[in-house]
Amino acid sequence: MDLSLLPQFLITGLSTGALYALITLGFVLVYRATSVVNFAIGEFLLVGAYLVYTFNVAPFNLPLPLAMLVALPVAFLFGWLIERGFVRPLLGRNVVAVIMATIGLVATLDGVAQLVWGADQKAYNGELPGQPIVLGSLVLTARSMWGIVVGIGVALLLIALLRYSRYGVMIRAVSESETAALALGINAPRMVGIVWGLSAALAALGGVLLASASGPGFHVIALGLMVFPVAILGGMDSVPGAVIAGLALGVVQALSTGYLEGSLPGITEAIPFVIVLLVLLLRPYGLFGQSRIERV
Amino acid sequence: MKATRRQVLKAGLAASTVFSPLAISLAQSRPLKMAVLYPLTGPFAFAGQAGLEGLRDATDYFNEVRGGVGGRKVELIVEDTGYDVSRGTAAFNRIISREREDELLFVYGDSTGLSKALAPEIARLQLPYTATSFSTELADPKTYPTIFVFGPTYNDMMAALLQQIRRTKGKARVALVYSNSEFGKDPIPYVKEQAPKLGMEIVAEEVTPLAVPDATALALKLRQANPDFVICHGYVLTVEPLLLRAAREQGMQAVFMGTYYSAELALMQRAGAAADGFIVAYHNPYWYDNLASGIDQLKKFRASKGKDNNYKTTYYVGAYTSCSAIWEAYRRAGAAGKLNRAGVVESLNNMGDWDTGGLIRSLRFVNHRLPYTKLYRANVKTGRFDAITDWVTLG
Repeated sequence: MDLSLLPQFLITGLSTGALYALITLGFVLVYRATSVVNFAIGEFLLVGAYLVYTFNVAPFNLPLPLAMLVALPVAFLFGWLIERGFVRPLLGRNVVAVIMATIGLVATLDGVAQLVWGADQKAYNGELPGQPIVLGSLVLTARSMWGIVVGIGVALLLIALLRYSRYGVMIRAVSESETAALALGINAPRMVGIVWGLSAALAALGGVLLASASGPGFHVIALGLMVFPVAILGGMDSVPGAVIAGLALGVVQALSTGYLEGSLPGITEAIPFVIVLLVLLLRPYGLFGQSRIERV
Repeated sequence: MKATRRQVLKAGLAASTVFSPLAISLAQSRPLKMAVLYPLTGPFAFAGQAGLEGLRDATDYFNEVRGGVGGRKVELIVEDTGYDVSRGTAAFNRIISREREDELLFVYGDSTGLSKALAPEIARLQLPYTATSFSTELADPKTYPTIFVFGPTYNDMMAALLQQIRRTKGKARVALVYSNSEFGKDPIPYVKEQAPKLGMEIVAEEVTPLAVPDATALALKLRQANPDFVICHGYVLTVEPLLLRAAREQGMQAVFMGTYYSAELALMQRAGAAADGFIVAYHNPYWYDNLASGIDQLKKFRASKGKDNNYKTTYYVGAYTSCSAIWEAYRRAGAAGKLNRAGVVESLNNMGDWDTGGLIRSLRFVNHRLPYTKLYRANVKTGRFDAITDWVTLG
């Protein structure tokens, strides 16, 4: 085991983990507000990555960072429309029906994405700005810096907004109890729409950063599947939990790639789920999830 | 009135005399089929969709220009596998149970995983088969006498790359990076066995998932191993661009290489300048190759149908080539009066004289694979792969 590589693995893991955290935040917000497990979160990444691509190539030809900024409101609108057209009619129905519907959403969005953007291999036009920083054997690439800065920055900003802004307080109120929120005059349906929009925007940001070098494509969905172990580990309904679990699993995956994958092929894909299983044995509601007492 | 046995027999005989020519002519007018199990959705849809277009063009060309098999049309039965072995197996079973044995004479499958799963049943049914996979295990006529690989196997591609390394550097330090999949692992034992025999040292072996979020640490590990050459295999341009960028950012000077599925122009679009010099083993012509008459012919045919002649991918050209050869095998089997599965296998085994129009070196199968390839080098300035060798014939 070469420990001289450890700092590099930590940096790489933090960068990837920050993106996991970013995407998981949107997933957790949706779960808190609507109790819906969005199985289509990988497709949200895909659509987001493709939206950025749309603004990045002809006829728009916007530089990648600008394309990201322009795509965010469109991604927000996409999430809001999904909530309006697909999720809201199902609220209050049997939980299995809602789960099946979001699984149906996966197939629908896969098909729509292929129909709209085609199946061919695409690449972003240009790169994320920035030069790699080399400190001895430690390399901090522009992609890593973007991952860490955007991932952690946006996550902290979101936590602050949820805690201190008027809309954030209203979203938290709806998350706690929709009925109580409605009684207090909060427009709960509007808040839920905003949460879905926010989730799609965060997924777009995560999707494009994950795909910035490999190009947008269906492989992004596989990367998005990491949301599930991160959310479960963090506690499903915990916003800080999503951030901490994202960073932790990112680092664990990087260390696994560095030190274990050679002797145990496939371990990197499995290890997040193994950790989740072990943690759930000790803490059934995840590391930061609220334990709930249900009377039956 | 009750009919006697003699009357029934006479009526049957009369009916068969009247109707059997009709039945025969009806059967002869029915189309001959090839089943296509392709990944039309999911992570390999880019190859499946492009390949399907190639199969359809080859089919249209065969029916419209070459007149089918003695006037009988050929057609494709297409099913989406989603690059999923269980879905592909279900589609295969559905087709086999539905289609007539004298009409369905070939199956064109997809992944290494699906092909390996279907191989025993293919052998049992004596059903001619090929796939988008170039798995070495499939090119085994003793075990699978009806399976053909329309190109070099992954082992062959590796052999060609090792030859190139030997020509360039001799006793080189070689690193292997491959995906943890059937596809990725397929040629690795061969390379590990052959490289030392050629005086090379395998200095690093990195296994990754099919898609990774970051390759910085991977590049760092490679940099520490200090290889002269890095061979990537088992990816579809999801990891290679990340790895190339990370490696160049860290100042790695090694020559990167890849096999068939890395040989698409999107590599340069995704990796940018870092892709310059990437060497691939690829056995069909590129769409822009003006030395292949088969490509010219195809462009003219597409133009005559009002189709665009914009760049077509390697997956398209590969599928078009294989499908054209398969229809030719149908035609030859028909001409020999053996229009059945065994006849198609026999024809494929004797296709060495077929004029490929430069779409591939030759249709002369050696152990049910076509052991010929060229090596190309990525030229980022032109955005193309340039041939750096003539045809390399492998063992």
